[in-house]
Amino acid sequence: MTYVISETLSEYDTPICDTLAETVKKSLRTSDTIGIDRCLQCGACTSSCPAARFTDYNPRTIVKRVMENDISVIEDESIWNCFYCYTCHLRCPRNNSPTQIVQVLKQMAINKGIGLNKLEVLFGYGDAFSEFGVSKIPDLYVGQMEDDLGIRWREFKNNLDSVRSELGLGAVAVKDSGRGEIRAILAGIGFFDRQDLLKHMAKSKSNTVDEKGEIIK
Amino acid sequence: MKQIENIPDSGIFLFKSCMVSVEYPGIESSTTYVFDKLGIDYFVSDEQSCCTGLGYYFDLFDQMSTTAIAARNFAVARKNGYNNITPMCSTCYAINKKACALLNSNDEVRSNINSVFKQAGLDDLIYEQNSLDEVDNFYHVVELFLSKAKQIGKLKLKLNTIDFSGVRVAAHHACHYYKIQSDDMIGNPNHPLLIDTIAKSCGADVVEWYEDKTLTCGAGFSQIHVNRDLSLKVTHAKLESLKEAGVELLLHMCPNCQIQYDRYQPVIEKEYGTKYDLVHMNIAQFVALALGADPVKVCGFQTHSVPLDEFLVRIGVSV
Amino acid sequence: MLIGQYYIPNTSKYEDMNHSKDHVGVFICHCGGNISDIIDIRSVKQEIRSDNISTFDCEYLCSNVGQDLIKTSIYKHSLDKVIIGACTPAKHEKLFKKCVEDAQLNASMLEIANLREQCSWVHPNNLATTNKAISLLNGKIKRIQTALPLIPIQIPINPNAMVIGGGIAGINSALNLANNGIHTYLIEKEVTIGGNSAKIGKMFSPEKLAEECSMCSLSPLMNEVGSHPNITLITCSEVENVNGSAGDFRVTIRKKPRYVKDNCMACGRCSKVCPTYVENDYNCGVKDKKAISMRFAQSVPQIYSIDPDHCIELTGGECGKCRDICKVNAIDFEQKDEMIELDVGAIVVATGFDEYDASRKPQYGYGLFENVVTQMELARILGVNGPTLGKFARPSDNSMPHNIVMIQCVGSRDESKSGNKYCSRYCCMAALKHASLIVKKYPDANVIICYIDIRAFGLYENYYRAVQDMGVSFVRGRPAEVVQKANHNLVVKIEDTLTQELKEIPADMVVLSSAMEASAGTKQVANILNITLSEDGFIKEKHSKLKPVDTSRDGIFVCGTAQSPKDVTDTIAQSGLAAARTSAFISDKVIRLDPQIAQIERSLCNNCDECIKCPFEAISKDKLGNVDINPLVCNGCGYCTKLCSKDAISIAGYKEEQIMAEIDGVIEKGDVLAFLSREIPYATADNIGNSVAEYPANIKIVQVPTTTIITKAMIEHALIRGSQAVLMVEEPTDNPVGSFIYPLALKNFEQLKGELGKKGARLHFKKAYIPHYRGLAETFISLAQMEDIE
Ligand code: SF4
Ligand code: SF4
Ligand code: SF4
Ligand code: SF4
Repeated sequence: MTYVISETLSEYDTPICDTLAETVKKSLRTSDTIGIDRCLQCGACTSSCPAARFTDYNPRTIVKRVMENDISVIEDESIWNCFYCYTCHLRCPRNNSPTQIVQVLKQMAINKGIGLNKLEVLFGYGDAFSEFGVSKIPDLYVGQMEDDLGIRWREFKNNLDSVRSELGLGAVAVKDSGRGEIRAILAGIGFFDRQDLLKHMAKSKSNTVDEKGEIIK
Repeated sequence: MKQIENIPDSGIFLFKSCMVSVEYPGIESSTTYVFDKLGIDYFVSDEQSCCTGLGYYFDLFDQMSTTAIAARNFAVARKNGYNNITPMCSTCYAINKKACALLNSNDEVRSNINSVFKQAGLDDLIYEQNSLDEVDNFYHVVELFLSKAKQIGKLKLKLNTIDFSGVRVAAHHACHYYKIQSDDMIGNPNHPLLIDTIAKSCGADVVEWYEDKTLTCGAGFSQIHVNRDLSLKVTHAKLESLKEAGVELLLHMCPNCQIQYDRYQPVIEKEYGTKYDLVHMNIAQFVALALGADPVKVCGFQTHSVPLDEFLVRIGVSV
Repeated sequence: MLIGQYYIPNTSKYEDMNHSKDHVGVFICHCGGNISDIIDIRSVKQEIRSDNISTFDCEYLCSNVGQDLIKTSIYKHSLDKVIIGACTPAKHEKLFKKCVEDAQLNASMLEIANLREQCSWVHPNNLATTNKAISLLNGKIKRIQTALPLIPIQIPINPNAMVIGGGIAGINSALNLANNGIHTYLIEKEVTIGGNSAKIGKMFSPEKLAEECSMCSLSPLMNEVGSHPNITLITCSEVENVNGSAGDFRVTIRKKPRYVKDNCMACGRCSKVCPTYVENDYNCGVKDKKAISMRFAQSVPQIYSIDPDHCIELTGGECGKCRDICKVNAIDFEQKDEMIELDVGAIVVATGFDEYDASRKPQYGYGLFENVVTQMELARILGVNGPTLGKFARPSDNSMPHNIVMIQCVGSRDESKSGNKYCSRYCCMAALKHASLIVKKYPDANVIICYIDIRAFGLYENYYRAVQDMGVSFVRGRPAEVVQKANHNLVVKIEDTLTQELKEIPADMVVLSSAMEASAGTKQVANILNITLSEDGFIKEKHSKLKPVDTSRDGIFVCGTAQSPKDVTDTIAQSGLAAARTSAFISDKVIRLDPQIAQIERSLCNNCDECIKCPFEAISKDKLGNVDINPLVCNGCGYCTKLCSKDAISIAGYKEEQIMAEIDGVIEKGDVLAFLSREIPYATADNIGNSVAEYPANIKIVQVPTTTIITKAMIEHALIRGSQAVLMVEEPTDNPVGSFIYPLALKNFEQLKGELGKKGARLHFKKAYIPHYRGLAETFISLAQMEDIE
């Protein structure tokens, strides 16, 4: 199996450039006007950040390391703490966006097989989407959620269809013809190749999921 | 900046949300209930797919794939003649808006996606530059409600439904509605007041400002799954502020936030050994209720984890 | 009105004069070898000399000896016209014009050939260079044969000045002007002068570590304004309209009623009996003022005034207590708006700043939490005449705050829509000043300043050090938000970026260093005066270094915070400069305008109105329906010459036949003709010379007002004369002329290219920037080489 196509696909999110800052600026994930070069290390992002409040994650220093072209930043576990809440993005006086930067860094990490243990547990999402055109909570977490949310939630989930019809709502999934379109588009754009590559990488690297699909803590 | 006066009430493509569909379907039925009452011209399609936003923020979906899926959904809207993409979910809102901006401004993205459509024989999906405007064609349901707040208030008076006075209500605005494209939100993004204004027009006693009003709900997309403890810490912090402010009903505009609060409030109560007298509703459920909707058959409160029965009895709604 | 006071000679009457008989004197400068080492002056003279052309040369033409040579030769040889071959006209044109005028010749009887910057400095010592010098001189000789005398346009200047805005900037400008003997109208919209600086209790200054009493400095100046024989102070007034132009403005002022006549003795009885309390905006909106009041004790003029929105009598009720008690019958409830018309020669805009509305940053709690105030409000709280009478107390409970946290850059250095990109320049110092005042008086107080950078520029650094020594603390970071806890106490959430710690700093009071924004009045006045604002909303100066107080319109000057954020010290310095510029402008008595502007030949004009499309709006229709050119607005760009199909409009000094004549003289086979617009492009070509770069000698430069005047005939003429290529170089878009002309010039170029058909390939277009002289040199080289290949 070759994975060439998927690599071209990821180049839009993580274009190969001379510096990290350039990659960030050119990435499709970031705004065209992103003010990374203008960051004045004021810390408004960090003091506004929920992840910084409870962990050692610091969006300001992440930005600094990117500006310094410190590639080791993609291996920093703390970047996985970002909530993608965009509060830093809102509060930054320089139109910079630490969260968009972190999103690019995480894509770069993923391309290198870093953090796949955190990703593979979510693969079910992509599978469901490509099959039904709607997303769902990844199966692997349903167990945890059942523990957390209890019987009331489980019962509701079991009765979803009848609840929906009582509310006058139709089927959740996209109509058949539409699903075919979605699959054709995802195939054409290279999504499946990339997804397969990531799955392959995840499998060969780590063993965080057992045969039954349960997470090993 | 978006102007309230310019918010359309016709050509509304009510963009279905995956999490609304499977967690709080009552948000959708409440929204259409209110739309019908207000005479809004809208359309719901069974061809529209999910926006891929969760996948995007799970770091699974790349920008190109997400944009391609958005372009397909835009085509679905266009084919039906309903061009104002209006989601119930803040993730759908921001994801679609960004996809549209990219399709308009980035020739490479547009031509790449269009050529995939062509190769797959899906020529009718092709996106033409500027056929949608990333500002003028994208709304959140809450903006529509806001533009009709006066009408809602009047209608409620006429129907003489529930008296919300004395109920301490507060709003949790969804980060992805007002923080991402903050120039395009209505009001000041450091103090969003859309839900507050709508709730006030229904006669509620609104707590406009409380500590951490703009703190995120804590769901953080994958965080609630992968980083559960951190995620709950944030939600806990916010629940504490709401308790401090004496809030009894928290109104939402995004199913993801609502899951985080409604589903996990009991979990937090258990894990932190505390108790909250706080119930949750989506603003659409709240407005529907205010306009006389059935709490079960329209609002779908039976799908909530924090039971609303007691609360509803208190405000005089028979369940 | 103005147009009658000067005239441009009717050119047609000169047309049949036989210019070729005129005696021309050609003066060539050696420039101490700069020219003569490269160009063989002897052979130049030989080549040029003829019956009616005499030649002269001199070591330094610009020296006294050189000037004398010119003047005496004009007399001795009865010269009619003078050509000078020397350095660029940008250098000494004025000097040489004065020379010929001294010798009773019209200034347009002088032409300068640029033999240094565009010849000897850019070409090697060889025959081609000398030949180029000859051709440049020949061009000028041919051109001057078609020249007509031009009479400079002169307009008398009204000797009065007006200053708009009575803050510290306006006060200082007005006093400077008045002391210079210029009668000055000072217009203030409030009931008293004093502006924002009257609100500040203490001021900081660069040389002292102590704070000075602001009123003690301001009050004597205010009194001087009130009593100066050369100042007419008009308060309660706003500018409503301005007509006319530099030297002769007519300003319409709307004066609002005070309801108290000027004979008020300021005894204050009225205020004592007035039953109505109103919010005092001078004192942070505290309700400690009566409906009839003086804004503050030192107000100038010392006349009470009635707040019409709150006075019982004026809002339809019955009261009149003040009228009854007034001993001099000063109260007049019947006063109405009054319109005043004033004629002035020049205007100084000193309309000041507004404080940024800090509630636009709700995360800092201003407007939400009582104990969050701005630095301006803190200044009032600390002022002895403030709302707390000098007691340092916080608004919620009047208790003395112990922990005071200041947040810098609120609304400044912020790219978001709710902020301003610039640094407000005063607030770091204001925060230091207030910190110092507090700590000196209350040593127990704990002041923390949250900053990103402390901008204590220049000598202020001493002050910063002193404040640090006092024990004021500094935390580097931009806070996320201010939170209110029990008892109206506050917490400031911040990352200390130096230690990477997230801190929650408790505060009894939070002080926001709010940005300085261009005042609403500034924007309004700028709109009425039609002067340009910068993107930040302040009034834009003509040139930040060379013309820092000139606005985009002649005769209108700006100073103080209307121009950009600044502190009192800088404001005073700048207002003095504005006064000096204004008084220099007025004391010229007349404005002499460059005569090289558009002129219209009425007999040819059929009033088709095409020329009214002038991008600078210099052309309009007069009362009789004739096309009329405003010489004050016209900059002679020449665009209109192309609009007119009747050839009725031309640029004086740049008529088509003059340019054709110059081409005739200059161009030889194989040359490249470069038309350069007269400002930036011409200066850029000079700059090639200044920078000792080189290009081939077959590049021949002809200066034009802008390339929009270039016609197909001119280009064809050059091509017939053997020119291999024609280049048009235009003003860049960031130049005041270029910003309008560049797109039109480009269009003209494209049209010419089209009209020329195949020959169009030889036409080229470019814009120039002075620092990018290399780019222009490279274009020259490549065009010259292109011709080589052919
Ligand atoms: S808020 Fe913006 S400017 Fe400040 S440190 Fe963060 S990224 Fe840099
Ligand atoms: S998006 Fe991430 S980095 Fe930004 S404030 Fe939220 S959690 Fe922090
Ligand atoms: S008339 Fe007006 S100003 Fe005079 S005393 Fe009465 S309220 Fe005061
Ligand atoms: S002077 Fe200081 S506080 Fe004011 S904007 Fe500049 S840096 Fe910020």
